[in-house]
Amino acid sequence: MATGFLTDTTVCIGCKACEVACKQWNQLPADGYKLTGNSYDNTGHLSGTTWRHVAFIENPKKRRLTGDVDLVALAEDVREQLPGGAELDALGRWTFMSDVCKHCVEAPCQQACPTGSIIRNEFDNVYIQPDVCNGCGYCVPACPYGVITQVPGDGRAFKCTLCYDRQRDGLEPACAKACPTNSIMFGEVEELKKVAEERVEALYAKGYTEAYVWGTPQVGGTGGIGGNHSKFILLDEPETYNLPRHPFLPQEKVKGAFVASAVAAGVLGAVVALAFRD
Amino acid sequence: MTDATQETLQDRNGHAREGRSETSHHTGTDPKRDEKGYYGIPPIKPAHWTWQIPVYFWIGGIAAGVQLFTTLANVLGHKDEALTRIGRYTSLVAMILSPILLIWDLGRPERFLNMMRIWKLRSPMSNQSWSLVLYGNLGGLLAARQAAEDGLLGRNFLSTLLTKLIPARLLSVLALPVALFVGSNTGTLLSATSVPMWARNWALMGPTFLASGVSTALSYLSLVLHLGRWGEQKTHHVLRRAERAVILVEAVLIAASVVRMGRWGKPLFSKEVAPLFVGGTLLGGIAAPLALLFGKETRGKSILTSVLVLLGGLAFRFAMVLGGRQSANDPEAYFSFAKAENAPQPDDSI
Repeated sequence: MATGFLTDTTVCIGCKACEVACKQWNQLPADGYKLTGNSYDNTGHLSGTTWRHVAFIENPKKRRLTGDVDLVALAEDVREQLPGGAELDALGRWTFMSDVCKHCVEAPCQQACPTGSIIRNEFDNVYIQPDVCNGCGYCVPACPYGVITQVPGDGRAFKCTLCYDRQRDGLEPACAKACPTNSIMFGEVEELKKVAEERVEALYAKGYTEAYVWGTPQVGGTGGIGGNHSKFILLDEPETYNLPRHPFLPQEKVKGAFVASAVAAGVLGAVVALAFRD
Repeated sequence: MTDATQETLQDRNGHAREGRSETSHHTGTDPKRDEKGYYGIPPIKPAHWTWQIPVYFWIGGIAAGVQLFTTLANVLGHKDEALTRIGRYTSLVAMILSPILLIWDLGRPERFLNMMRIWKLRSPMSNQSWSLVLYGNLGGLLAARQAAEDGLLGRNFLSTLLTKLIPARLLSVLALPVALFVGSNTGTLLSATSVPMWARNWALMGPTFLASGVSTALSYLSLVLHLGRWGEQKTHHVLRRAERAVILVEAVLIAASVVRMGRWGKPLFSKEVAPLFVGGTLLGGIAAPLALLFGKETRGKSILTSVLVLLGGLAFRFAMVLGGRQSANDPEAYFSFAKAENAPQPDDSI
């Protein structure tokens, strides 16, 4: 059985309850009191001490308000034709996305880890064993989503455990539990896949034809990664949410690099051997 | 409604109509809001590696090249005791320094032995640890025999035993592929990441680092032999000839790498890295030594050439590591790279 997240950004209200719940449950240290000036996002990005991060995307539209504007409909981003030729898309959207470890099917961090600290646990989640990690840091540049970092002072690498401890006790992860709009859903990956498809269809029916699922082998979990156990329903280009469109498994080419290096070694050996000729 | 209120409202509306509103909801007025990306925050994280790692890359490359040259000399029947001695002691010293540098760089140095828990063929870091263990042991045995032969362990039973029991020729042939792996894996280690500059060049990272390693090793041997006034005339001659050819191979590989990296190789020519890469590697480490290697051979010139090549090799490794950091910190580079046609894919040939 594989468990994972489905984060539906269309109902996220940016309350950051998930960030707080995650920090509290996992006893993660604070990251300091910095004001970034980037909308209401003072967290910035995921790190070894931030396992949930709510992105605030202010997505303005360039059209102007004309005619008789229904402000309620405007705020709700209703798209039907309105009487009086009123334009309703003028405020644009304010999108939020609660980012988290993607729990890749073929996880680059796990393949990079030389100590075997990063494993797949019984819930098929990518899990760092803190008692094994020796802080080599090789998983950090391996991650295609910038999820893992080493924690200064501690030296080891950390990331979302998908609340391994809570799952062991039959509880859902802290972030999913705290989410007031059910934007963060936790469950079996196969089930979440169906939920995601149904939700995207419903969004289509409402006119949100730009909605799609990110984290499939077609988008987000590409290039040998085989999809993600943490999926997202997005309304904009992946880059807007700081997500790559077509990431890749960095270890895919280790064998090829080895062959290329062997050829180079042969050539260099021959070149040096030739120098010994009288 | 008073007139003043009316005026204020009109003023505000007028403002909005002219598009000069100052809220951050307007793309045109908010310089922090990128059209693409998220406030310019890098979507991937750079490696934390400090100076120990490029220095290890340099030392590992030298060890690989020294093993290549001394083993070939041995196999091809070129006898030079000074060369053999320097080769064996060098690999010992390199294999003592390398783990120290690498363990130093760990977040939890006391747990370095966890590297030996498993062996993962797909993790260049794991392969590196095991190849260092293997080469360290082989090199250690060879150095032990050398020490026994040189009388460093005293004239006793142990020395005689070591000299008799350690099959030097067999061990050095066995050590050669391991050493070459150590040298090339320093490049592969970088390429198996999500960093655009490194990953884009996956096929040439290993070969380029190995070629640079061999060229620095030849210079190192030449430098030590010159400084100690050791070695036979022929050894110096062969080293010089080999150096000329290997520097050319290295130059071709670096040029091919820059071409392959394309737009993602830009960090190599940035303000921070260009002095190292263009000045240190291309001019100081390749062009100048190459010019010095042709023409009349003198001791002073040889020493200068060797120093230049060695420093050039060190600059190359720092340039690659620092350039990679810039590449990882550039959202545009990663987003443009993480598109189907640019990133390496499972079914790609190159």
